[in-house]
Amino acid sequence: MLSYIIRRILILPLILLGVTFLIFCLFSLLSPMERLATYINDPSVLKNPQSAQRLIDKYHLDEPFPSGYVHWLKSLLRFDFGWSPTANQPVWEAIMQRLPATMELVLYSIIPVILVGIWLGVISAVHHNDILDQFIRVTAIIGWSLPTFIFGLLILFIFYGMLGWLPPGRLSTWAQYIVYAEEGFKNYTYFITIDSLLNGRLDIFWDALKHLIGPIITLSYISWAYLLRITRSSMLETLRKDYIRTARSKGVDEKTVIHQHARKNAMIPVVTVAGMMIIRMLGGVVITETVFTYPGLGFWAASSAQQLDYGSIIGFALLFAFLMVVGNLIVDVSYALIDPRVRLE
Amino acid sequence: MNRIVKKLLSNTTSLIGLILLFVFVIIAVFAPIIAPPLFSDPYQIPRMSWDTEPQPPGFPLSDDMIFIYESMGEPIIRDKAIFGTAQGGYDIFYGLIWGTRTAFRIGIVTVVFSMLIGVILGSIAAYFGGWLDELLMRITDIFLSIPFLVAAMVLTTILGRGLDKVMIALVFFGWMGYARVIRGSILCAKEDVYVMAARALGVKDYSIIVRHLLPNTIFPVMVQASMNIGSMVITAAALSFLGVGAPLGYADWGQMVSFARNWIIGSPGHAGEYWYAVFFPAVFIVLFVLSWNLVGDTLRDIMDPRLRGEL
Amino acid sequence: MVNDNKTKILQVKDLKTYFFTENGIVKAVDGVDFEIYQGETLGLVGESGCGKSVTAFSIVKLLDYPGKTVGGQVFFRGEDLLKKNEKQMRQIRGKEISLIFQEPMTSLNPVFTIGFQITEALKVHYKISKPKAQEKAVQLLKKVDIPIPEQRINEYPHQLSGGMRQRAMIAMALACDPVLLIADEPTTSLDVTIQAQILELMKTLLKEFNSSLIMITHDLGVIAEIADRIAVMYAGKIVEYTDTRSIFYNPLHPYTYGLLTSIPRLDMDIEKLDSIPGLVPDPLHFPEGCKFHPRCPFATAKCRKEEPVLKEVENKHLVRCWHFEKVKEEAKKIAFTGRLAVSE
Repeated sequence: MLSYIIRRILILPLILLGVTFLIFCLFSLLSPMERLATYINDPSVLKNPQSAQRLIDKYHLDEPFPSGYVHWLKSLLRFDFGWSPTANQPVWEAIMQRLPATMELVLYSIIPVILVGIWLGVISAVHHNDILDQFIRVTAIIGWSLPTFIFGLLILFIFYGMLGWLPPGRLSTWAQYIVYAEEGFKNYTYFITIDSLLNGRLDIFWDALKHLIGPIITLSYISWAYLLRITRSSMLETLRKDYIRTARSKGVDEKTVIHQHARKNAMIPVVTVAGMMIIRMLGGVVITETVFTYPGLGFWAASSAQQLDYGSIIGFALLFAFLMVVGNLIVDVSYALIDPRVRLE
Repeated sequence: MNRIVKKLLSNTTSLIGLILLFVFVIIAVFAPIIAPPLFSDPYQIPRMSWDTEPQPPGFPLSDDMIFIYESMGEPIIRDKAIFGTAQGGYDIFYGLIWGTRTAFRIGIVTVVFSMLIGVILGSIAAYFGGWLDELLMRITDIFLSIPFLVAAMVLTTILGRGLDKVMIALVFFGWMGYARVIRGSILCAKEDVYVMAARALGVKDYSIIVRHLLPNTIFPVMVQASMNIGSMVITAAALSFLGVGAPLGYADWGQMVSFARNWIIGSPGHAGEYWYAVFFPAVFIVLFVLSWNLVGDTLRDIMDPRLRGEL
Repeated sequence: MVNDNKTKILQVKDLKTYFFTENGIVKAVDGVDFEIYQGETLGLVGESGCGKSVTAFSIVKLLDYPGKTVGGQVFFRGEDLLKKNEKQMRQIRGKEISLIFQEPMTSLNPVFTIGFQITEALKVHYKISKPKAQEKAVQLLKKVDIPIPEQRINEYPHQLSGGMRQRAMIAMALACDPVLLIADEPTTSLDVTIQAQILELMKTLLKEFNSSLIMITHDLGVIAEIADRIAVMYAGKIVEYTDTRSIFYNPLHPYTYGLLTSIPRLDMDIEKLDSIPGLVPDPLHFPEGCKFHPRCPFATAKCRKEEPVLKEVENKHLVRCWHFEKVKEEAKKIAFTGRLAVSE
């Protein structure tokens, strides 16, 4: 098991190298001048051709492929991702500042889906629960054909426009004042829902939660549909397998048959879907945050794209590629944990 | 093939899908009659007024606009916005009708080209195997390591605004699924007796792939393609929604939704006042995607009977 | 019968199991009677779909949906299993009656170790500590001739060969010293040489454990090696029921006769192998009269109208046929001695 994980981790840098190369190729589609713009925070420098050329040389922007790539890679390793005019701060700082908001949203979306979604899928397969089956069918159809940006706007329209329950943004103004400006409020995790509880501010916790619910639903409704559906059908298929009958023939009780013998096998395709789900969510973050003006990485990336802020968008792509590679690693390890045939290959 | 057509027609859900699709085809074909263009570029949505905020269905052509058309010597063909206008006075009805053509173009062009790339790379990898297979599959992995929407967004931003740029980005990051599917099926079919026989007879690699392997393995790819048309259209619309897709005023559904974004909540005391600005574009996108999904889903059921009846 | 002096372990009386499908009722088992004595092996023979496996699963009440036992009695040590509830059945399954399945690959759970799957029955039925259970698993694997059992118990099914897997299955079934074993085509998926080894192993172990066995198979060659008595099934009913020797020397049912002539034999110079003409009848639309008549060379007008009953026509030899005398005469022309000579 350990050797399998180590082997997987050793491949990681290779994939990351490939990804950086691909992104560098995209980046190279820009002229040296445009690329230079991503490094400087004072656009007036560009007006002077001589100083601009000096900077181009300094950042090795017009060097041919191998050395240009190596220099760019080196700057990445120094966390020098350039300057983000959209955020008016260095790209790396902009990323670090917005990461907690996005992680809070993504984790709160993924964890319930995986825990509750799998449980519900198993239940619906075992009990042939009609209401649950109908729910799965409807969410799957809706989830499939309703684009995230329309679904998000719909949520905003109903729960904010009509009912006034779920406001956009991350915090109300009064809460922002307390969290960001007041001395007394300590940030431990930068997850506002957690920090507010640690600070004993239930009002802020409630406010943060109200802002999170809309984005969470928008980001995860497709995943609910997919995961419930695949868990249910995989479980139904597994329950028909010969080894389930073998377990029953040994006098094993039904609960153990379902939750031990069947569920572990049924999880194998579920892991694949969970992996795809995480990928979809990473893409969905951009749209969800834009719809709800939720101040995370996605919202920043969308604004950067509109303003042709190339440095930010490249930094964002690198980060999300990294997150995805790590996500895939987790999926692979989960496979190995579940299925000895993968582990011992 | 006959069996498949029969199945598609006998299944209620796929029949609904086919009917919807047919309606969209009619709209796209007869767009010039349903919504006659006012400019030489029919994809430019005409503006009914200079208003910033959306105007309700039935909104008449404003006096400013009548004056402009008259001074340009153009005849005034339509004087009402049937579905209202979006922000900036853009005619929603016109944008949706011509946007149907845009949607078909995006869906079909991107799917055909990405399928082509995927099939070529996937079949080469599977047929020749060895280091070439290894290399091509690792490249596929790398392309898959960036979330699709993020990748498309980055490339469109770099290439610049425009529908053609959007399509290039979607194709560039959209071929990997096809490559994997075709590789899998060719790896299986490669061991079949007829392929062995053809190889033993010294038939050229190219014609073994094209004449023997592809006809027997292409169907799953086609199913995947039909299901991907919907998601390609959604992604293109999402890019427009984010403001990096179609240029301003271009007849594109994503842009129509994007126009509605700032108005979704309504004005104080009038919640949902501008419902029409998001409602009509949403209906078009959802039904279009739904129709492809319904057809694709049935095709997959025919292909993979194991899943039949499960949902 | 032959074992009148022994204890009767299982008695099946007029067992009826139907499948209630969308297209109609399938009478998979339609009135089956037989009994088994201690230490004895009964062969249940027939083509696939004749109801032999369904009979076995009806006994332990492990029928797949939409199957349901609608009539009859199954006395196991004097108690009717069909009257027991699920909880009581669970205490019997794996402990007193255990099963061996056809496909060891699919019948073993791929994500658990062999050791876990063998000790599971022990853990379910006895309060036994983990090391004790492990120890017992090693002993069992030794009994079924698996080399290096200490290592094998930590391995997964996919790491074992087909024959090894079936041995592990047998070890699993024997874990709680069952009174009755039911083996559903245990050797069908194995190579011929492995088949012979497994059969030999089962014979030895049966003697050692003094367990009874119901051996389900379509292969008369296999059954000749191991069974004391044989029940031949066709279309949900027993058509011939007697001791093994009589089946081979003196078949009285045309179906048995057909099965025997389709066994390839080295000792006889038969030009072509006869297989039984026609197909297994559609279970939704069984023919009227004798269910075998469309495929029967001896069929007459009577067979098409009236279904014969299973009756004792010779000493302890039951048959369900109007024309068993004709079959007997025909069968005498070819003596089926060669087959038994091989195994005896």
